[in-house]
Amino acid sequence: MKEVYNMPVIEVRELSFTYRNGKAPAVSDISFSVDRGEFVGIIGPTGAGKTTLCRCLTGVVPHIYSGKLSGEVTVNGLDVKVASIAELAQSVGFVQQDAESQLLMTDIEKEVVFPLENLGIPRGEMRRRLEYVLELVRLTPYRKRHPFYLSGGQKQRVVLASALAMNPDVLILDEATSELDPVGAEEVLSVVAEINRQGKTVILIEHNMEELAQYADRIIVLDRGRLVADAPSRDVLSDIALLSGLQIYPPQVTQVAINLARAGIQIDRIPITIEEARSTFEEVAGRGLRG
Amino acid sequence: MSEPIIRVQGLWHVYMPMEQLALKDVNLEIYPGEFIALVGQNGSGKTTLVKHFNGLLKPTRGAVIVNGKDTRNASVSELASTVGYVFQNPDHQIFAETVREEVSFGPKNLGFDSNRIKETTERVLAQVGLSEYIDEMPFTLGRGQRQRLAVASVLSMEPSVLIIDEPTTGLDWGESVRMMELVRTLNEKGHTIIMTTHNMAIVALYAKRVCVLRLGEKILDGPTSCVFKEVEKLKTAFVSPPQLFRLSDLMQAHEFDDCTVDGVTRYFLRLLKGE
Repeated sequence: MKEVYNMPVIEVRELSFTYRNGKAPAVSDISFSVDRGEFVGIIGPTGAGKTTLCRCLTGVVPHIYSGKLSGEVTVNGLDVKVASIAELAQSVGFVQQDAESQLLMTDIEKEVVFPLENLGIPRGEMRRRLEYVLELVRLTPYRKRHPFYLSGGQKQRVVLASALAMNPDVLILDEATSELDPVGAEEVLSVVAEINRQGKTVILIEHNMEELAQYADRIIVLDRGRLVADAPSRDVLSDIALLSGLQIYPPQVTQVAINLARAGIQIDRIPITIEEARSTFEEVAGRGLRG
Repeated sequence: MSEPIIRVQGLWHVYMPMEQLALKDVNLEIYPGEFIALVGQNGSGKTTLVKHFNGLLKPTRGAVIVNGKDTRNASVSELASTVGYVFQNPDHQIFAETVREEVSFGPKNLGFDSNRIKETTERVLAQVGLSEYIDEMPFTLGRGQRQRLAVASVLSMEPSVLIIDEPTTGLDWGESVRMMELVRTLNEKGHTIIMTTHNMAIVALYAKRVCVLRLGEKILDGPTSCVFKEVEKLKTAFVSPPQLFRLSDLMQAHEFDDCTVDGVTRYFLRLLKGE
């Protein structure tokens, strides 16, 4: 069992933000906190404010995208309005959708050490971190390779490695697997799950509810800039009315279980993963066969 | 049955100069009006295969016959009137200043007269639900809208076959469904649809036939519900069928005849209540 410390690493209080030239707030009146070691999913339809919220957590809003920000955002004790992006980058790693546009250098090693060089990290420490993160993302054998010759999943793991080399406490992934094939997505998410077990806090924006069901402890739901739900994953994923209202497709096994419950069949715990569904449905079927 | 609109015979493709084998003895017949999904890992040969359908690639060995024409003897523009290709990322395809210009580019190139260009442009924009944006700049549209614009600019050349590469990448579920309902409508109007995708939920809902590629070879081909039952074989191609097909494979003692949410619900209700 991994440890979640009862100690907030992210605190968001009454956050609202309107982009310069924006007509309406992209996010409005959002409050939540995340404890150290949690794995939190963020879901919502396009335009719900998911990316803007992540930008607020990394300081990209308001430092790069300017606009009108109100409320408080604190990450690892740093006020994002006051702290510089460079300072924040050592607390929060950010991985976005398009791996290609996040890669700059001609080989993997250079890509990983580049931000460390910029921070003036001593050589020995740099080497140590490089070895550690390459091993973590399972790219040590490819260290000298040009990113051009990597698969999508490998490229995204290079981006992940260079974010992790900064040793951030929080890792944010904004649809980081949506352009990958299922194998590539699994390669990336399994690494993310591993660093979460090691105590890093993870925020994952994701369209695939099956993946969230497998990894996230808790899910925050946004709609048109507002936070509409914030609860353990099982509660959110089995709230079919909420999800279908937002055109989000719940795991199929969850839909079946809810249908059965509605038809009067007793189901003690609504399954959200396929393994849970197997044991739930076998137990249910066993009742049928006995009766 | 009628003649296939696309016939692939013993197709091999080797990329030069690295001599990478991308397709290995692929045989495939696609009939007018089919809705087929090509699935498989990145690098399995899906894109290489479909690029043979519009002549962007020519066979290293074997043949591809499109609408009775051997693609080795046909130009890309000749084939474009039969086969339209919608790219995965609409932004790699969109270039014009306005939506109207974007959509009328193809028919202009095919030499349609100006009345026909105007009529076609307006008709296909209505079809994809973008009529009100005709004078807008393409890049002010949302991702889902840009995806539909990419479809419109291919539709305007009136191809009978549409190849759609990863139609739902980067779209949320609501937008994906809107996009796929459009594709379904086009199929119902008679267009042959060939789509490549990693989204098996979309395949299960929309494609009638699935063809699975692994390392350049076709390993499965048949009606969607039959192909998805081959969970073990699919695993070797790194394809994971929708959750309820996998559940069916895990629960061998139970025989789900219909692996949809409604089908599995009905199965258990029958079992428990005799309904």
